[in-house]
Amino acid sequence: MTHRLASFALVFSALVGCAARADESAPPAASAEARAQSLERKIETLSRELDALKNELKQVENQNEALAAQQQQQAVLAQQQSAVQNGGGPWDRLSLWGYGEVNYYHPQHRPEDTQADLARAVFGIGYRFGERTVFNSEYEVEHAVSSADDPGEFEVEQFWVDHRFAGWGAVKAGLFLMPFGLLNEHHEPTNYYGVQRNFVETLIIPSTWREGGVGLHGDTVSGLGWDLGLTTGFDLSKYELNPETPLYGRASELKEASPLQATHQELALANAQHLAQYLALNYHGLPGFLFGAAVFTGNAGRVDRSAHLPDSRLTLWEAHARWRPGRADFAAVFARGTLGDTAATNALNPGASNPLPGSFFGYYLQGAYDVWRRDQTRLAPFLRWERYNVGASYAGLAAGFAAVPAGFPQPYDRVWTYGMNFYLNPHVVFKADYQSFQNNADFTRFDLGVGLNF
Amino acid sequence: MRGHGAWLWLPPLAAVAAYAPAQAVVYLTVEQAQKEMFGDEALTSLPLVLSAAQIAAIERDSGVKVASPIVRVWKAPSGYFFADAVIGKHDLIEYAVGLDANGRVRGVEILEYREAYGGEVRNAAWRAQFDGKRHGDALRLGEDIQGISGATLSCQHLTDGIRRLLATYAVAIAPR
Repeated sequence: MTHRLASFALVFSALVGCAARADESAPPAASAEARAQSLERKIETLSRELDALKNELKQVENQNEALAAQQQQQAVLAQQQSAVQNGGGPWDRLSLWGYGEVNYYHPQHRPEDTQADLARAVFGIGYRFGERTVFNSEYEVEHAVSSADDPGEFEVEQFWVDHRFAGWGAVKAGLFLMPFGLLNEHHEPTNYYGVQRNFVETLIIPSTWREGGVGLHGDTVSGLGWDLGLTTGFDLSKYELNPETPLYGRASELKEASPLQATHQELALANAQHLAQYLALNYHGLPGFLFGAAVFTGNAGRVDRSAHLPDSRLTLWEAHARWRPGRADFAAVFARGTLGDTAATNALNPGASNPLPGSFFGYYLQGAYDVWRRDQTRLAPFLRWERYNVGASYAGLAAGFAAVPAGFPQPYDRVWTYGMNFYLNPHVVFKADYQSFQNNADFTRFDLGVGLNF
Repeated sequence: MRGHGAWLWLPPLAAVAAYAPAQAVVYLTVEQAQKEMFGDEALTSLPLVLSAAQIAAIERDSGVKVASPIVRVWKAPSGYFFADAVIGKHDLIEYAVGLDANGRVRGVEILEYREAYGGEVRNAAWRAQFDGKRHGDALRLGEDIQGISGATLSCQHLTDGIRRLLATYAVAIAPR
């Protein structure tokens, strides 16, 4: 097409050139006029043909455009089709995931207490109801076997619906994880250093902490994540004031020392007379940094519902930071909880072996560094120092009674953890650590673990 | 908040939730993202279906699997515009990448996001880490691109997707 057009242009310019020369040579008038007329005719013919060609060219251009548009349309259609296929059938709307860990604990000074445990096996099921509504759930077996005679538990760890009503926010309802600390919402073994989770986020923030309720959450383009809501809370009537034997005797049982682990309800016929409120903010507007804080407060009832005792308000707050410059990973969490109006309860139970604490707190600093990396495999040694106190203050203790009876483990400690995570890939991690306890020196232990997440 | 008063929060929440339409939340349409990156420049779509050889070359180059041979790309006088999608954890994140005439990233925009977690990738500062990157530059999460705690998978898959698009540009568009 362009080729033909070019040849016409050549002929045309040659002719025009001829005409110009004809003028210069000034031939006899009659024949010159005839030649001029013939030239004019030729030019007219040529200009008509040129117009025709222009039209033809226009048509071809239009056709090309239409073809391109068609092709583009087809591409979009194909993509939409594949999207529909991806989100079409019930199986495609379903998502499955899981994680778990098998651990080995060896108390250095009490080798007879060495344990191996399938600490948790968790499977998740999600379902997408549409473009904006998604369901998430997780089912957990702790300690391998759950029966009347076994130590294990079967738990629904999450069961909630999330609905995005606008770009700026979404609403969630059901049983969901509380947005506290660094690991409660992201508690898969590949997400933390060390065989067991740190003590601050086990004893003070009672991970895996979940409540039933509703929440609103969202993220801004500037990097502020927010989450607030109304949920069930803790129930002090589950608190054991006077156990005859210590609730815990080794590091792997320390969870039992936590007042919040003892009184969380997990939406199992939870007392919902009083609802609690929470607010969590996270700022991730500087790449590599995360700063956040959260607060939770609610009426936790009383230890004995039949007694004339005041209800206690439980308030828990925490602040956390994480900085990941290149291969390094630094983290810090501080958490503190208070229980109000505990004096009357403690005064009514003089000599209780496990009085109600008025406050508890913990904090840790942790550093890790990828010393070796190849593709997705990496080795990350880490170091963590933490301090916790699940009985930082008591009100109403009768004179002459200690908060902790003689022979019971101390409810506070300072712990150094040295260890390493070896990631075979981002989904499989082998762990080893050594934990040294300053006060309950008997708890000092060596741990091994394998964890996975998919 | 004492007693039953707490439940008063619920009706407004439910009302807000019930109001929402059924389509995915669109943070930016393709047209809006194009305007954001190329202003009033006229963009023409560039029909591009990758050949098997090109797919193999892109996968080799980027280390990322190519899910579809169809590339949604537009040409602007001053660069190129890609619209693409990756899986976040379970669901699709639609995003767009603009390149300048030298193949350097001019901007990354999140168009649609569907999951309950990981929406932090919309953060402008996180996306700005890709600006100026071109094919051949190292683009690894945790080294060259900082991740976001709590949104690791979304960050990982977007980083992979952008690396794949830069390879697509190098293999199938730049030589033209």
